[in-house]
Amino acid sequence: MNGRLRAVWPPVIIALIFLSAWQLLVVVQDIKPFLLPSPSLILGNFFGDFTLMFNAAIYTGTTAILGLMFGTAVGLVLALIAQRFGVVNKLITPLAAGLAAVPIIALTPILNNMFSITSRTPKVLITMIIVFFPVFVNVTRGLIQVQPVQLELMRSMNARPLTVLRQLRIPNAIPFFFTAMKIAAPLSVIAALVSEYFGGPQQGLGSRIASSAANTAYGRAWAYVVASIITGLIFYLIVLAVERWAAPWTGRARSA
Amino acid sequence: MSVTSPVSTTAVRAAGIWKVFNEGQSSEVTALQDIDLTVEAGEFISLIGPSGCGKSTLLRVIADLTQPTKGTAEVAGMSAAAARQQQQYGMAFQQAALFDWRTVRRNVELPLELQGWSKSARAARAMELLEMVQLADFAGHRPWELSGGMQQRVAIARSLAVDPPLLLMDEPFGALDEMTRERMQNELLRIRQETGKSVIFVTHSIPEAVYLSDRVVVMSARPGRITDIIEVNLGSRDEDTREAEAFFAGVTAVREALRGRTGGSAARARVGEV
Repeated sequence: MNGRLRAVWPPVIIALIFLSAWQLLVVVQDIKPFLLPSPSLILGNFFGDFTLMFNAAIYTGTTAILGLMFGTAVGLVLALIAQRFGVVNKLITPLAAGLAAVPIIALTPILNNMFSITSRTPKVLITMIIVFFPVFVNVTRGLIQVQPVQLELMRSMNARPLTVLRQLRIPNAIPFFFTAMKIAAPLSVIAALVSEYFGGPQQGLGSRIASSAANTAYGRAWAYVVASIITGLIFYLIVLAVERWAAPWTGRARSA
Repeated sequence: MSVTSPVSTTAVRAAGIWKVFNEGQSSEVTALQDIDLTVEAGEFISLIGPSGCGKSTLLRVIADLTQPTKGTAEVAGMSAAAARQQQQYGMAFQQAALFDWRTVRRNVELPLELQGWSKSARAARAMELLEMVQLADFAGHRPWELSGGMQQRVAIARSLAVDPPLLLMDEPFGALDEMTRERMQNELLRIRQETGKSVIFVTHSIPEAVYLSDRVVVMSARPGRITDIIEVNLGSRDEDTREAEAFFAGVTAVREALRGRTGGSAARARVGEV
C-alpha cells in the first residue's frame, strides 16, 4: 500500500502545480476565457452542471462501447481468418489499412446519409471502423508469432490444428489483444465524440462541446472536454482491470 | 539393461537417412548423409558434433517433426509418424517451452489433456511427475516464477507425462549454468534409472555426453554424418565419476573422435572397461 501511495503522489503533485500555475497565469495576465479559461472556471462548470456532464458522457460512452464491442468482434474474426489463411491475410491487411486511413470527417457525412442521421447507427459504425484495425493487426500478430519451439512441442504431442489454435495461438495472442484494447478503448471515445460533430442527436459530449463553444460558454465547453477525458480514462482503466483479472501473466517477463 | 517392450528390443532404428535442404538450388545443404543408427531399448545415446552437423535434424527426423529426404526412421517398431501419433516418445528442447498461461502442474498436464485424460487422472499423474522432479511444492506457481533449471525440470516432467518408452532431448541443459547443469544431469540419470526409458540426447558438451551415455555418437558437419560411436562403460554414476580416470579417458576419446583422430566410421573405441 505504501508503495502504491508513493507511485500515486508524484503525478498528483505535478498536476496540482500545473493547475495552480495555469490559474495564476490566467488571473495575473487577465487572459480572456475564449482564449484560455481558468481551471477554477472549468471545474466550476464541471461540478455545477455535473448531471449534464454525466448524461452526455453516458450517451457518448454508450456509442463508444457499442462501437468498441462490434469493432473488436470484427477485428477478432478477421484475425482468426487471416491466421488460418495466409492468402486472406495478404488480402485483408491492405484493405483494412485503407479503411483505417479513411478520414472520419469524410466518412461520417456519408454514413449519416446512408443510415438515419438521428439514430446512433452511423456513429457506432464510425467507432467500429476506428476500433477494428488495431485489434485486427495486433491479434493477427499474436496468433501468428508463436515460438517455433512451442509449435514443435505441440506437434510432438500430436496436437491437431484446432488444438494448437485453442491451446497455443489464442492464449499467445491475449497479451497482444490487451495491447490493442488499451489503444482502442480511449480511441473509441474519441471516435464516438468526433462523429457527433456532423449532426444528429445533440445529447453527446461532442455535440455539447461544439454547441457550448458556439454559445461562447467556454468554461462549459472545456468542462465537457474534462468529462470526455474522464470517460476515455475510465475506458482505459476498465481494460487494465480486465487484463489483470483475465490474463495475470501478461506484462510479466516471458519465460524462454 | 531392462528390456520392457515385448514387441521390440529396439527403441529406434534409423536406416539410410538423408536430409537435404533446398534440394536442386544453389543453397543446397546436405544436413544428413546416409545415417544408420540403432538404439536398443533402455539405452542412453548422446549425439555430439559441431554446429551444423545435423544432430538436431536427426533427432527431428526420429520425432517425425521433419521428413527425411531418403531413408526410414522407426520408433518402437513402428514408423516415426505412427510413433508420434501414438505418443511413443516424449520430447524436451533447449528452451523449456512452457506455457506462461498455465501453472506448473497444468503445463505437465498438457500432453495428457491432448490425450483426453480426465481432469482428476491428469492432476494425479502430474503431481506424481512433479514429485519425481522434486517440484511438487511449485505445482501452483507460474513458469516465470521458476529458475531456468526448475523450468527445464518441468519440461522433463511434461515429456514423461504419457509414460513414453523413449525420450528425445535437444540440448535440454544447453542454456543452464555449469553447476545447475551437473545437478540436472544427475537428476536425469536418476529419472532414467527409475523409469527405464531409452534416451537420445543431443549436446554440445563432451563431458555431458560421456557422463550420461552408454554410447556417444560423434557426428561431423558438411555433410552431416556419423564418424564414430564411442561406448562408455562407467557403471553407475555419482559425483566421483566426474573425477574418475575412466571418465577422463572417455572425454579424451570423444574429443579425439571429434577432431577426426581415431579416423573412419569403422573405429570403435571402448572406454572404461575394467
